[in-house]
Amino acid sequence: MNLNFSIKVVPIVLFALMCSFALNAQRTVIGTVTSADGPLPGASVVIQGTTTGTGTDFDGNFSIEVSDGDVLEISFVGYVTQTVQVAGQDTINVFLEADNQLEEIVVTGYGSQREREITSSVVQVTAEEFNRGPITNPSQLLQGKVAGLSIYNRGGNPNGGPTIRLRGLSTIGANVQPLFVIDGVIGASLNNVDPNDIQSINVLKDGSAAAIYGSRGSSGVIIVTTKEGSVDEFSLSYNGQVGVSSILDQVDVMSAAEFVEAGGVNMGAQNDWTDLVTRDALTHIHNVSASGGFGKTSFRIAANVREVEGIVVNTGFNQFNTRTNINTKAFRDRLTIDFNSSYTKRNQDNGNAEVMEHATYFNPTAPVWFSDTPFRQFFAQAQQDAVGGYFQPFGLFRSYNPVALSEQGRYETEVIDLNYSVNLNYRLTDWLSFTGQYASQQSRNNYEESRSVQDYHTQRALGNQRGNVTFQDTDYSFSLYEFYGTLRRNFGTIDATLTAGYSYQEEDWFQRQLYLQDFPNDNIDYAFNYGASEQLTGQDGIAINNTYSNRAPTTKIIAGFARLNLVIDNGIYFNASVRREGSTKLGEDEKWGVFPAIGLGADLNKYLGLSFDQLKFRVGYGETGSLPVESGLSQQTYTFNPNDGSTQIARATNPDLKWESKAETNIGIEFSQGNLNATVDYYTREISDFLLNTEVDAAVFGFDRAWQNSGKMTTTGFELAVDYNVNSVYTPGIVLSTYSTTLDEYVVENGIVTGNLGSPGQNQTNMILVRPGEKIGQIWGPRFVSVKDGNPQFADINGDGDPVHGQDKALDDNVDFEVLGSGIPTLEFGFSNNVSFGNWSINAFFRGALGHSLVNTFRAFYEPRVGSQSSYNFINTKLAIPELTTATFSSLYVEKADFVKLDNLTVSYTFDLPEDSILTSASLSANVQNAFVISDYTGPDPEPSLTDGDNVLAPGIDRRNSYFTSRTFTLGLNINF
Amino acid sequence: MKNFIKYLFTIATVIFIGGCDLEEELTGQYTEPNTVAGSEDKDIPLDNSGGQFDGQIVNDDLEGAFAKLRDGTAGHNGYWSIVSVGADDLFVGQKGGDWFDGGTWLQIHRHTNNATHEGTNNAWGATYGAINEANNVLSRGGLSDNEVSQLKVLRAFFYWRLLDTWGRVKLITTPGQDVLQSSRSEVFNFVEKEVLDALGINEVSASMDLTNSPLTTNDRKYRVNQFAALALLTRLYLNAEVYTGTAMYQQAVDAATYIIDNGPYTLSDENYSIKNLAKRTPDAATATAGNINDPDNLTGYAAVFAPNNQNNPEIIWSVNFASNLGGMNFAQMTLHYASQTTFNLANQPWNGYQTVTEFYGSYARNDRRLSNFLEGPQYDYAGRPLIDWAADDYSDTGAQEVDVNYTPFNNELEPNACRQCGVRMYKFSFRQFQQNDMDNDFPLFRLGEVYMNRGEARARATGDWSQSLSDINMIRRRAGVPEYTSISAEEYLAERGREFYQEALRRTDMIRFGNWGDTWWEKDSPSEPFRTLFPIPQGQIDASNNTLTQNPGY
Repeated sequence: MNLNFSIKVVPIVLFALMCSFALNAQRTVIGTVTSADGPLPGASVVIQGTTTGTGTDFDGNFSIEVSDGDVLEISFVGYVTQTVQVAGQDTINVFLEADNQLEEIVVTGYGSQREREITSSVVQVTAEEFNRGPITNPSQLLQGKVAGLSIYNRGGNPNGGPTIRLRGLSTIGANVQPLFVIDGVIGASLNNVDPNDIQSINVLKDGSAAAIYGSRGSSGVIIVTTKEGSVDEFSLSYNGQVGVSSILDQVDVMSAAEFVEAGGVNMGAQNDWTDLVTRDALTHIHNVSASGGFGKTSFRIAANVREVEGIVVNTGFNQFNTRTNINTKAFRDRLTIDFNSSYTKRNQDNGNAEVMEHATYFNPTAPVWFSDTPFRQFFAQAQQDAVGGYFQPFGLFRSYNPVALSEQGRYETEVIDLNYSVNLNYRLTDWLSFTGQYASQQSRNNYEESRSVQDYHTQRALGNQRGNVTFQDTDYSFSLYEFYGTLRRNFGTIDATLTAGYSYQEEDWFQRQLYLQDFPNDNIDYAFNYGASEQLTGQDGIAINNTYSNRAPTTKIIAGFARLNLVIDNGIYFNASVRREGSTKLGEDEKWGVFPAIGLGADLNKYLGLSFDQLKFRVGYGETGSLPVESGLSQQTYTFNPNDGSTQIARATNPDLKWESKAETNIGIEFSQGNLNATVDYYTREISDFLLNTEVDAAVFGFDRAWQNSGKMTTTGFELAVDYNVNSVYTPGIVLSTYSTTLDEYVVENGIVTGNLGSPGQNQTNMILVRPGEKIGQIWGPRFVSVKDGNPQFADINGDGDPVHGQDKALDDNVDFEVLGSGIPTLEFGFSNNVSFGNWSINAFFRGALGHSLVNTFRAFYEPRVGSQSSYNFINTKLAIPELTTATFSSLYVEKADFVKLDNLTVSYTFDLPEDSILTSASLSANVQNAFVISDYTGPDPEPSLTDGDNVLAPGIDRRNSYFTSRTFTLGLNINF
Repeated sequence: MKNFIKYLFTIATVIFIGGCDLEEELTGQYTEPNTVAGSEDKDIPLDNSGGQFDGQIVNDDLEGAFAKLRDGTAGHNGYWSIVSVGADDLFVGQKGGDWFDGGTWLQIHRHTNNATHEGTNNAWGATYGAINEANNVLSRGGLSDNEVSQLKVLRAFFYWRLLDTWGRVKLITTPGQDVLQSSRSEVFNFVEKEVLDALGINEVSASMDLTNSPLTTNDRKYRVNQFAALALLTRLYLNAEVYTGTAMYQQAVDAATYIIDNGPYTLSDENYSIKNLAKRTPDAATATAGNINDPDNLTGYAAVFAPNNQNNPEIIWSVNFASNLGGMNFAQMTLHYASQTTFNLANQPWNGYQTVTEFYGSYARNDRRLSNFLEGPQYDYAGRPLIDWAADDYSDTGAQEVDVNYTPFNNELEPNACRQCGVRMYKFSFRQFQQNDMDNDFPLFRLGEVYMNRGEARARATGDWSQSLSDINMIRRRAGVPEYTSISAEEYLAERGREFYQEALRRTDMIRFGNWGDTWWEKDSPSEPFRTLFPIPQGQIDASNNTLTQNPGY
């Protein structure tokens, strides 16, 4: 293994080179370095202008050979560096002052580094910089704050998780979301952390930083550190918020009068269906925390309660979360023990996911109840009763009364998470310490659905299989064992830190689903008595199709890793790491991978003789891998048909399935001068062997799909972050990022189209192009020109006089299709503005994205005045063409979705407290989320759609199930005792 | 510094030499094919009450492979759809916003489909999936000669589908094996040889002796007996000239005669009657009940395809469909959304498949086979007219229709085919409280086809169409229409069309009669000769490492 060899040898050669720096010295000086906390072990003592130096021992003592004219430079992380003239002294005792302008220590994975020593792109966001307001998911804290980190929760469903992408599409068939490391526990769930408990979040953006995390780091790493208590400082704080949300934007449709005027079928009533299924929703958030310490032990305990209503009736959640962090020291402070635990219980009302879709286009002249309709004589009373008396237009495709939808079912999820971790750190000597860590995560997700026997949405209310009950219980457990040692030594002007260790991760997943239908009536909720199902009593002889259990194999990841950090001459920074890792999820002979990284940084100020406050150049290269999400993808599997006892192939075999690998190079410059701080990053990365379920020869495999390493893609990107303190009152900051991803190779040479528009009538209409040599995320189709006899006319794009517009010819050479837009934005930005004066502070945060387009699927289906749609409300945006009576996908439905929104506006006031107050601080704040959006997009939400369900190759599609966007006003109170 | 390097070495050793057991054991999934071991191969118990519709599983080692017949034989967007929609009797009109679907069914209707057609891809994948399963069961061993022979005939039937639809395909007989693409003649020879082997003979002749055949003569609808194997041969030989250029009509006659003379089958005629499970029974008080008058029983031809057709005397080999087994969706595919309330369907149907006006018009008004269709005003189970709330439609009078009325008239194929135009498929008739997946068994071979194959083969063998009269008149008599005294090839094809509507034979027949390239309703240009074969799916060609080549013309 060549790669292994070079990885072993390179650091050794580097060390050999460094050894030659050693110099001779004249006499010995001894001394002790102390600080306010006592002796300082591990401090650096260097003869200025040379590479000669040493470190202090466990009691802060040092000895060094010097000549009289030398100047000693004594430094330690977090303290002001001191210089002392030797000038004949034999003993030099130094007291280091804590650095109030504390240089930030950044957690980087299995350790931490001073900010200036970092050679990769790492961004730290601390609690003061977080987004404000009623944050329901911790990722919202970061939205727009980190250049290159895209966080979109389209529409803002309180129960819907956001899509999080670091530097765009990082993988195709693997873990697209970044890896979260919470208090040192890799792979922990962010949902289990209350936003109020977070101290800081570090984002490791490039491959050289993430490589230490190996196979799980390809999509970037986000390190979350929760708040801790400190000894001798007891505090109690309360943080409460009350908010009201209301609908902000929806799809433009016709009023009942307009609809009838436009030729819609008049059912005689007038209803605004969106109004009927939405509400002003209330949100409460309460957080109480206590922290403090006794002797060597500090603690922080917090409890959080959230009650969040969705703007759609019968949706929302309530959540209770507690977190306990305890830290203690023993054995003369050599042993540090950290214990962190958290418990979360969350109850969600998910509602029926189609309520908003149907509210948008259900006939505005339809009545809510059959009893209100002039047409009721057409339907038998028995049928009206069968659907609970809610008006339903039997005989239309996918047309369901939205009020019935929102009221005739229960869709609840209960999530219980329990996490804890123990971290033991033992400082064996002043230069060597060991860390052992155990973490456990237990999650249980219970989904319970109960549909009325009168629910027409399943369409079974009229048949004899009425009502259904679903239970789906998922247990997940994760254990992590890690052990590593950290060795810090000083060789003259070289500070070396070596970290090496071992990591073992184990995951278990077990799901059980019970699905039963056919209940006698609605007298009770049959979720509580499903034995009454006639499928069980066997009255109709109908099989129970969706009942199953599935236990995934125990997945394991085993890894060894090492990292070397060198600070040379206090101006050159070198980092190198390697991780070798094996996973159960891959093919028999492809289980192990090696992930190396190397980075170099230089203080240009120092070497170019410049006098900026800071000018650092850094370059990093790293390789990471990606694992498939599922287990068993290399193996042939079969599904069992309980009805005939046979099995059928579910997946063809691929014993050669291997890691998807990513190689990334990042170049960055960090600059600061006066009131200006700026960071610029440029990166390029290549993802090869990406994992995808693609077509194989059915004749050979008996099945036409298998998971394969299917291609290669390259992304290049640019990121900029600038802060400028205009004066003591106004401090703006901006982050910008842009990237583009090209598919270099793909298993199907001529490419494919993906992202099917769907039913009604527009299946086999794939809108997104995936073709080697082209960018990812291009929307592909015919260009609309005009309307003729109600039909759309398309452009002869290649001008050959032969119009070819068939979807089946989408990839033919002579097709008259073109790129109609990009699903991926060309520029994303966040612009924060802080104004503070006296006791007031105002924070206005703008966020936006430019250059992306969205396929507005509401319009594509329901805007043309198609005869067969005359009983569905017409979408009626400013782009509507009333003459158009045929629905065919084209550029007409692809809209630019550039937007700028005032994402967050907070005004807060801090009270002046009397000297003898029991309070230490108190403040009041008012906040608006989604204050306004500036966009030409006619759909409900112009935020980019980065993925189409699970299909990451199809960005740019705004589906009909998008949640309505809302605006939220919140009042908050924060008091500390 | 030395120590430091020593540490580095130690660490490097630990990282790079260390290994551990990373075996992946899929606890929750099958990684080997299997079929729950059943009892001895048994015949289906006969139940002649005719009131039941649930298919009974044949619990034997062959079920896994025979179950594959349910993939695409009678559902949407697979084998049945691609071979049926391209003929002159059925179509799927684009009804405004419904059923455009990228033009996929319009292309099939007009013979302009290409190699990226999803339905074609599905048909190919399902057929090879079935062949793979047959190969798996065969390779597992432990089977009796009879079972091996049945499986080989089953596999030959799937290869017949490939032969007929794509022509040049790979002949895979062992799981995981890859071979070169065979010519159409080679595929023909393979199918013929496999079936002859199962029958224990070298060739079909009038004097053949099947006593050495491992296959039985028992009447077993869901399994293969000698007559099922011979019925496949009649179809194969009837089309031999199309497949290989060499006519084999006499063999087709001989195989058919053997079945007719020796088999236990009779045409389902006036004497065979079963309960009509679709009958609506409104209570007498309902004022509108007079609108409906459903018969109590289905008799003769209609009984062959009914939900409770499992024991029909005409059926030689059928696919066992039942609501709990899945795969037959004709009710969903053809009915208007509103018809849900006529049959109390478990789900709303899709309003897709319609019948071409001219084809429907070719039936005499007293033809009993009009039971193949639903026509006219539609009523719910209580006799109320069905409402189409989006009836911005055209009737033949040009008036807007509010009530659902399946008219023989069709206004256009696209883009605004009217929502209730075209009579609907009802050959495989429905039952009250019909599930999405229907219970009717689908006859792969029935005695009616054997007669029609023999009549045609006699005429073609001699060049004298009057030779077909005795056989075709069996069918005409049963249909209650006047017998022919003379007949042309054209009339023979038309009769086959009326008889085999919805049975996925029309395409093969039209190709054999040389009419596949003709123009018909909403197919205004003749199609090229190469269109008698479907294109091999492009995705499969791409995935085959150049071992598959496209059929000429595509």
